[in-house]
Amino acid sequence: MKKFTTLAVPYIVWSALMLVLPMALIALYSLTNQGNTIISFSFTLEHYVKFFTDPDFLLILWRSFVIAVKTTIICLLLGYPVAYFIARSNEKLQSILVLSITIPMWINALVRTYAWIGLLSDGGIIQQILAFFGFHDVQLLYTEGAVLLGMVYNFLPFMILQINTALCKMDNSLLEASADLGANPLQTFLRVTFPLSVPGVINGITLVFLPAVSSFFIPKLLGGGQYFLIGNMIENQFITVGEWNFGSAISMIMAIIMMLMMMAVRKAEDRTQGRKE
Amino acid sequence: MKQSKRTFGTVLMTLSIIFFYLPILYMIIFSFNEGKSLTSFTGFSLRWYQHMLESQDMMEALYTTFMVAIIATAISTVVGTIAAIGLSKSKKIVRELMDQVNNLPMMNPEIVTAIGFMLLFITFQVEKGLTTMLLAHIAFCIPYVMLSVMPKIKSLDPNLADAAMDLGCTPWQALIKVIVPQIMPGIVSGALIAFTMSIDDFIISYFVTGRGVKNLSIIVYTMSKRINPSINAISTVMIVIITILLIVINVLPTFLAKQAEKPGNGKRNLIIALACTILLVFGIQSLKPSVGNGNRPFEGQTLHIYNVGEYTGENIISNFEELTGAEVIMEIFDSNEAMYIKVANGESYDILVPSDYMIQRLIEENLLQPLDYELLDCMDLLVPEVLNLSYDPNNVYSVPYFWGTVGICYDTTIVSEEDLEKEGYNIFLDEKYRGQIYLYDSERDSFMMALKALGYSMNTTDEQELQEAYEWLVQCVQTMKPEIVTDEIIDNMAQGRKALGITYSGDAAYIMSENENMGFYLPESGTNFWVDAMVIPANANNPELAHEFMNYVSSYEGALDNSSYVGYTSPNIEVREELGGPGGDYEGINAYLPRTNYEKDEVFFYDENTRKVMSNLWAKVKISASNAK
Repeated sequence: MKKFTTLAVPYIVWSALMLVLPMALIALYSLTNQGNTIISFSFTLEHYVKFFTDPDFLLILWRSFVIAVKTTIICLLLGYPVAYFIARSNEKLQSILVLSITIPMWINALVRTYAWIGLLSDGGIIQQILAFFGFHDVQLLYTEGAVLLGMVYNFLPFMILQINTALCKMDNSLLEASADLGANPLQTFLRVTFPLSVPGVINGITLVFLPAVSSFFIPKLLGGGQYFLIGNMIENQFITVGEWNFGSAISMIMAIIMMLMMMAVRKAEDRTQGRKE
Repeated sequence: MKQSKRTFGTVLMTLSIIFFYLPILYMIIFSFNEGKSLTSFTGFSLRWYQHMLESQDMMEALYTTFMVAIIATAISTVVGTIAAIGLSKSKKIVRELMDQVNNLPMMNPEIVTAIGFMLLFITFQVEKGLTTMLLAHIAFCIPYVMLSVMPKIKSLDPNLADAAMDLGCTPWQALIKVIVPQIMPGIVSGALIAFTMSIDDFIISYFVTGRGVKNLSIIVYTMSKRINPSINAISTVMIVIITILLIVINVLPTFLAKQAEKPGNGKRNLIIALACTILLVFGIQSLKPSVGNGNRPFEGQTLHIYNVGEYTGENIISNFEELTGAEVIMEIFDSNEAMYIKVANGESYDILVPSDYMIQRLIEENLLQPLDYELLDCMDLLVPEVLNLSYDPNNVYSVPYFWGTVGICYDTTIVSEEDLEKEGYNIFLDEKYRGQIYLYDSERDSFMMALKALGYSMNTTDEQELQEAYEWLVQCVQTMKPEIVTDEIIDNMAQGRKALGITYSGDAAYIMSENENMGFYLPESGTNFWVDAMVIPANANNPELAHEFMNYVSSYEGALDNSSYVGYTSPNIEVREELGGPGGDYEGINAYLPRTNYEKDEVFFYDENTRKVMSNLWAKVKISASNAK
């Protein structure tokens, strides 16, 4: 047993250097007040105060969460049935379907998002189709709907693949047992299939929600410059405004909120797992 | 019942496949488009593929993308799996702590992780380039591998390894023969996710790269600012490569399994995948253009240029390389501010092409070196109006590259010239044109417009005046439903999608040459007169070659190539006359010949404090625009 434990040691050292230290540097920036290159140790909380006392900033934070929640819900509602259908197909079809979900993910996200601009823009193909059905001059690009579409498009495969992995892992004899014991398909789904897929669902939610909440090039490309989310705000602070200290503070706030949420999710996951065992 | 469920599933599946593939198909089709537009297909052509093959940048990016993704996937899959197994046997407290640590790159906004890496590399003075990109990719891929492997390990019987060892396995055998095969599906999906994350990554790569190393995302991002269908072409190539790769991975094992009458397993899949990808890397590498040799003055030397995307003539780089024997590496930035951050952090280039105000800032911060006039023979060829301006008196540091003004591009069939003359920039508050306007997403240009509309200097430092300008802009975004865009404005105005937009004169020249209904108007209240110029950073490695490049770009041949391809006004007198005059590409287009010597036109003056105020206010304007929706 001890032999296996030592396997983790190199990675612990590596992650301290590559994952923890960068965060510590950002935390340091968020609490100091110097320029971009010189680190001096005069601690201040003013960047945090600035964020929390401005209603506009708080509104942006709120909206980023709302759109990420919407994205996650849509991905779950669309992704679960798709993953379920794939898992229920025969083996050959299954690998083809998983492959066809995977291929788009391997193509650059920026490119795929960029392609939607052509599809959604004024005079583009979708607008022409809508016009054919009698909806003329519907503004598609640079709306919240476009941003939502872009996010779902980019993140849905993560959800499908995670749930699918969980469902495939499931022992089919459990379903037969459930049916033998008199459960109808709905009961089987609710009592057996779904609980067993929960780890996949949670992984899926993690992989969708996290990038959605901080995404900045999707809102930038599909929402236009007037569509601002917290990710854009951070990017803006680092790239154009150049106030790294304030940008670091916003990042820390985000990181802390996310960490708290994730801890809550993990707790919930542990509880469901515990009950099952 | 069962039948209807099946049908439902099939329909759902078909719809999702359409959803996933529609944009990709669209992109492939438009990679063969003859024209530049993203919405109207004008005819079949391979010109964008040719353009792509000729672009050394793009071919190298393709190679970098795959190489980084493959190496990062291989290392992070092995390390991640081993670490996950080790951790699963570790004490609970270690495990939970590491869970949190692993969550850092997944929970943080990617940009924060990126900045974190950047700060790390700068703190430890690791030179940014391929190595740093690779390190960062490995670092953010491992947690994803572990996330995917962990549930598999958790669902393993914990006594399995013990049982194997009781039966005489060494721990290593137990690991390889018992545990790894059991968790193989998790490892494979982890490797897939790692590969996807790496090949997809933009933000982190963007911040940790240097020395001209670019992946596909960076190329796309920096090039998509200007419409460039070569992006579609290179994406199509990538799609084809990946599809072939995936099909081979999926079909070959089944084929081999049939031959050997044995079910294919995951391990073999991975080996085949590895073999294929290695072949692929060598294949792509062989596509890289080779450097010729001869007896030329700068044979074997390297010139590092840092320039805006799509801001260089088609043949300038190759001709210059041909002429001097030097190799040119061009890195691309998307804003002066992004460029400044890299240069201020010690990244070394031989030539930068920033805008006037940024040159002033670089001079003030001692980041540039004075030009050696002994080596320059081009200054006499240039338009006198763009020399000796306030940002760099006597051109001690800079040689103009392009120049122009900022004005109102308008659709002559919708906007009356009377309104323009009467209202100037205030036409952007005229509700007659509500929903018909574009604003440019740049605090400098927007505040210039607002300040000029109010009759102030665009270089004011008066907080009251800036506040009024801010309110002017807020009124505009709240009442006029503008779209705040960047370079999409060029294509959109050329297609006549909206009636009014703030544009640079060079872009307006292109728009007018594409669409004859468009006009360009400079308000009487004045505008921004700007110059983008070449400068040599203080830490340049090869200033002599940099001077040579400045001479070439400013010469008739270089300047003609530059200006006719990009569409911006040339500082070379002869070229400007030729392109703007009778028979030239831009004959009769007023935007190509910027207004000069008008007293109300100003050059942007850099003031740190004002810039911060403006950036913050502009962010708030955008916030109120997005809250007004």
